[in-house]
Amino acid sequence: MLVNALTIGSIYILMVLGLDIILRGTKILNFAHGQLYMLGAYVLFLFFQTLHWNFALSLVLSGAVLALVGALSYLGVFAILSRRFTVSTTLSYRLLLSAMASVGLMMILQQGTLLAFGTQERGIQSPFPQVIDILDIRISVMRILIIFLSVLVCLLLYLLMYKTPFGRVLRAVSYDPEAVTLQGVNTFWIFVTCFALGSALAGLAGGIIAPLFSVTPAMGQNVIFLSFLVLLVGGIGSYRGTIAGGLLIGLLLSFGFQFLGGVAELFVFMLVILILVFRPGGILGEATE
Amino acid sequence: MKLPNNVALKSRKKQIAVAIAIAVLVVLPLCIESDYIKHLLIMSCVGTILAMTFSMLYSSGLISLGAAAFYAVGAYTSTVLVMNTGLSFWLALPLTILVAAVLSLGFGAIFVRHAGVAFVIISLLFAQVVVIAAGQAEFLGGWGGIIGIPRPDPLGPVEFASKNSFYYLALAILLLVVLVFNALYSSRIGRAWRAIKLSPNLAGTLGINAYRYRLVSFVAGSTAAALSGSFYAHYAQTITPGAFGGWLSIYIQLYAVLGGLEFYIIGPVIGAVVMTFVPEYLRVLKEVEPIITGILLLIIILFFPDGILGSIKNSSSAGLDRFKSGMGGIKAWITQNR
Repeated sequence: MLVNALTIGSIYILMVLGLDIILRGTKILNFAHGQLYMLGAYVLFLFFQTLHWNFALSLVLSGAVLALVGALSYLGVFAILSRRFTVSTTLSYRLLLSAMASVGLMMILQQGTLLAFGTQERGIQSPFPQVIDILDIRISVMRILIIFLSVLVCLLLYLLMYKTPFGRVLRAVSYDPEAVTLQGVNTFWIFVTCFALGSALAGLAGGIIAPLFSVTPAMGQNVIFLSFLVLLVGGIGSYRGTIAGGLLIGLLLSFGFQFLGGVAELFVFMLVILILVFRPGGILGEATE
Repeated sequence: MKLPNNVALKSRKKQIAVAIAIAVLVVLPLCIESDYIKHLLIMSCVGTILAMTFSMLYSSGLISLGAAAFYAVGAYTSTVLVMNTGLSFWLALPLTILVAAVLSLGFGAIFVRHAGVAFVIISLLFAQVVVIAAGQAEFLGGWGGIIGIPRPDPLGPVEFASKNSFYYLALAILLLVVLVFNALYSSRIGRAWRAIKLSPNLAGTLGINAYRYRLVSFVAGSTAAALSGSFYAHYAQTITPGAFGGWLSIYIQLYAVLGGLEFYIIGPVIGAVVMTFVPEYLRVLKEVEPIITGILLLIIILFFPDGILGSIKNSSSAGLDRFKSGMGGIKAWITQNR
């Protein structure tokens, strides 16, 4: 039960870290993120199940392919869009147009996958079907692997964001892109990298969850709803908040489904609203405009 | 920053244009035979109201992806009032507005505090949650919805049976909303919204309480959405939670953006009419339709972000500029060669 919650939580953490990097770096609220997650699962399906490649290699590939998809969609859509913006463009206009563009992308990716792969569910044979006993509780190795992997990704991301020159630039861009440009940094490629990195995280999350659940075109829509909830709870732009929020929502959801059934999502939403009344910026974030 | 061009009906020309437009709208159903086209016209009215609520929130700098939330609230409230307590539609309608106003004030007081990205997410989640709540609640019919909602009671000699009568009801509601919204936009409140949209901080230094004004726009928008929801429930006579979820909120935004974001009232009208009629005549496959809509959305945003009206206005004013500079050149040439 607890492991289950942790597994779900760690998937949301991966998703939301990706969303957050994109949002902070490029100021785009990426509605297509759920579809990127779904594509990640399909890439794994393709390489692991159909071509019988190594699982680790397939997983890395689903991250890499999605990074490419993300970079291409940034170059193809958002780069053209941001050329229109000037310093005097109001923030709400900027936000609206980029969010709408990502909605357009979402519709295309969603329905494109549906047409290409059909609606049927596709199961992926678990690469680690073993089950281990810890204190009389049977836990599947796959779930432990998922938790382990997301901890690893969180650590790597932390090191990247806070210990490398690239991370410093990235954080600076999230404050004031114009000032960073004045320092002689090519912000355009930083934006592309942000989008690619965020997409890769979504792809990884989709890839690693694929053996546990079946792969369907609708999986992206289900996960994006809760990812946004995690983003709200954790606080936008807060690294630790995202992790805490992901764990909290994961716990609430799996226990909620156990005891409440279908109304669990409602219950979680109400709880989040309540949290927002008292902590407008999320549990660990700061309230910002 | 351009000033909105539809704030007040100052000039005589505009008044005449509006009068002609209303006259055309009133005569229109008498010239149309097909009930199907009348149905599309009625749905355009509903879509226009919803898109106008989006524009209203946007005019105060809030981006709502949950325009469908209070549409659903209105539809369900009115249905429950009429079917469970036996009220007349004409009594349920104002009560629905009241309920929606109270609810939107309560929720809005929390939501509006989080302007910017957080509001976008909250409004989206709220719309989803309303759909889930309606689906889970047994007394609201669950996921199967409610069928057999009665038509509005006859109003004097007018019976609500034909498409024509529903069209006139929709038109009356639409005109009422336009009237109220136009009054708001041209009042002190509307000017405060535009100031907030331009820069919340600057507006704050001028003594404008951004939170309160945004709350006003949230309540006004939500109430109008509930009004159209109430009409829709009694027109369609069937409501299901699914009808309010999915792509609806996204389509609503598309109406507003397509028409032109800077045109708060006429933009949604154009957008809703185009988006209701054009897909019906293109007759594309149901599976391909979202892809085409997505591509359309990207094209509009990348190349015509001012919408249909904005693009027309830009091109005509650019043409005027070219004409003026051309005239200037000719004048200079004449003075030189005199």
